[in-house]
Amino acid sequence: MTNNPDSEVRFLMGNEAIGRGIIEAGCSVATAYPGTPSSEILESLTRWKKELNHPIYLEWSVNEKIAFEVAYGASLSGSRAAVAMKMVGLNVASDPLTSAAYLGVRGGLVVVVADDPGPHSSQTEQDSRFFAWFAKVPVLDPGTPVEAREMAVRAFELSEKYEIPVILRPCLRVCHARQNVELTNPKEAGGVGPFKKNWTRWAAIPKYRFVLHGELNEKLNKIRTEEPEAHPKLLLGTNGNKLAFITSGSVSSHVRDIISSNAQIDNIDLYKIDLPFPANLDALQAIVDGHEQTVVIEETYPVIELQIANRTKTLGRLSGLVPDRGELTPEIVEQIIGSVCKVETAPMVQPNIKPRRPSLCPGCPHRSAFYLIRNVFDKAIYSGDIGCYTLGINMGAVDTCLCMGASVGMAAGLSKAAAGDESAKVVATIGDSTFFHAGIPALVNAAHTGANFVLVVMDNAVTAMTGGQPTPATDYLADGAPAKVINMEKIIEACGIGFCEVVDPNDYNQMKDALVRANEHTYEQSAGVSVIVTRRPCVRMPGVVLSDTRYMVNDDCDRCMTCIRDLECPAVSFNKSDKKVEIDEDLCAGCGFCVSVCPSQAIEAKGGK
Amino acid sequence: MLEMVICGRGGQGVVFLTRQIGQIISDKGLNVISSETHGMAVRGGSINSHLRIGDFQSPLIRPYHADFILSLDESETSNNIHFLKTGGIVVENSNKQSNSDARRINATEIARNEGRAQLENIVLLGYAATMDGFPITTDEIQRQIAKDKRDSIRDANIKAFNLGVAYGAGATSVT
Repeated sequence: MTNNPDSEVRFLMGNEAIGRGIIEAGCSVATAYPGTPSSEILESLTRWKKELNHPIYLEWSVNEKIAFEVAYGASLSGSRAAVAMKMVGLNVASDPLTSAAYLGVRGGLVVVVADDPGPHSSQTEQDSRFFAWFAKVPVLDPGTPVEAREMAVRAFELSEKYEIPVILRPCLRVCHARQNVELTNPKEAGGVGPFKKNWTRWAAIPKYRFVLHGELNEKLNKIRTEEPEAHPKLLLGTNGNKLAFITSGSVSSHVRDIISSNAQIDNIDLYKIDLPFPANLDALQAIVDGHEQTVVIEETYPVIELQIANRTKTLGRLSGLVPDRGELTPEIVEQIIGSVCKVETAPMVQPNIKPRRPSLCPGCPHRSAFYLIRNVFDKAIYSGDIGCYTLGINMGAVDTCLCMGASVGMAAGLSKAAAGDESAKVVATIGDSTFFHAGIPALVNAAHTGANFVLVVMDNAVTAMTGGQPTPATDYLADGAPAKVINMEKIIEACGIGFCEVVDPNDYNQMKDALVRANEHTYEQSAGVSVIVTRRPCVRMPGVVLSDTRYMVNDDCDRCMTCIRDLECPAVSFNKSDKKVEIDEDLCAGCGFCVSVCPSQAIEAKGGK
Repeated sequence: MLEMVICGRGGQGVVFLTRQIGQIISDKGLNVISSETHGMAVRGGSINSHLRIGDFQSPLIRPYHADFILSLDESETSNNIHFLKTGGIVVENSNKQSNSDARRINATEIARNEGRAQLENIVLLGYAATMDGFPITTDEIQRQIAKDKRDSIRDANIKAFNLGVAYGAGATSVT
């Protein structure tokens, strides 16, 4: 593929390519909070660091706001720094980002924000390019893993040249695509010299913020007019056709493939903008004015479209041509192109899809915890949170899911406003990583204001949903170096909580007794929030030893379905032809909790173990 | 230009297969792009990967464009069958007999007989690699699997792969 002896081609995930770009650019500090589809960026950096024996400092921060602030501090001290998160993470980091746009940066600062049109694994379909516009920072929008690596490097250059944070916005279809990517050798970690005191900038009071706002506008105008990425580039066509398409990011790849693979479509000029904000307004308007019709296809909000001042000859989301929500899949893009070009396309397929419902893993300690919570609190209101344990929905043990940490804050409100239903109980569930992320301030608030609910902190020692990243309670850092372990119980106690017990959720009696005591504390004695920490490691983590014991259902089974309906373990199913409950040995993780659950005591270990 | 969907349930090794195939094609100097499923869906949910070889920028396959569907779970075949093009081939892990709809192998049983049901994905790959039009050869795959530095995993994978290849050779000689 290449004759350059210093380069190498690898089949890399978009997120790995971004990690590679960050390290190739000479970045010294990279931070992140995990979240699909962004998590593999910092994960890959830990591998690049090891493989290249690179000195880069890597950190899984407690949340996105802190991750941003650590990276920002590194930038002010003169180093190149990067911070990675998913798009809803940018909501958490929005406070420092919008302020940092005014203050500016010193060492290049790249904010990688992964978007999830669909959404596949997120609460919203928000467009981080729109957020970039709101915060007044430039945003690069890669279409492929190859572009993602190049743009990561370019983002540092732009950031340093204009002293402004730069967002790199890959969508899911870039993050989790794989492509053969050409690598180059990392640049020496450089810098722009140590921190220089200047309070009118780094601690600017409102009077100086006004001045800085003017400087920021000036920077954006320069980027808009002078940087080639802000200018739409011609991908296909002649610049002289009657019809123009303008696109950016991962959807641009679908558009390009569909137009170039259809011989009937030969009258389109296809343009792509690598830097959709701040786009070159004159160049955009010139395309629109120079064509009979211009179609804008972008994900997920009309960011480019809104920057076209005169849209009378423009079609896109605002005109209703492009759907106003959902991922723009190749099928949808093909329909749009077909309708505009008057070319016949294959009809939209309505596939008969019966997707398998995601479920907590067999052996997952959350399952036993949820089972016992339902067992003790039955019809309580269950305030849930973000993580694997949102799947407690399947067990009727999660009624709400808003955002990171909201289980605790919402539980306070739900319990205070239970007017007219004095018997209403509220049980909140939150994972360990989410508790550290945003649960602690809410717990302080609840204790201080005398809220009354039960909180179960489900501690599996990792951020499990996103692949098992360390938390503040883990004894190692992102790169494996030893870490100070933060004691969760001491924090809970220090938040002002008078009832805190730690249990093994797979120990039926231990956990059930603790839940009964929590019920007494909170609901019989009205003594405030009680907290139970269910502690057992995630079954998917390397090093976790699972039992080899397998279980069978004996003839005492009266098919009451408690194990299937209430425990919802993927390994247990009802065989309709035999009319028997079965346990799949390949799926079973040997936790044996189903034995405790069965009212007929019909589940037993095989071989009498 | 060749397009392939690989599907199954979370934990069956769909992503592993996609990466192995993609890496071999990349090593051959061909352009390849693929997509993977991560996050919520991997918790036992439906998983599919798309793999496209040739001058493609998009990692996604349109309906009626896949040359192959490799399915590790028969219930997932129907969820992805709309991607298959006319004349495309379905290679399926199933306890049923092959017919005009799909070429089938009971990869789960073969893998379980080897002591690890998780090897089913490699068994299926071995079978698929014996088919006309499959983009990589059995030799190329064996060389890729042999790169794994973990002795026991490498040896188990090679054995499972060869069992799939042998099944394919037998199936060919019968028909």
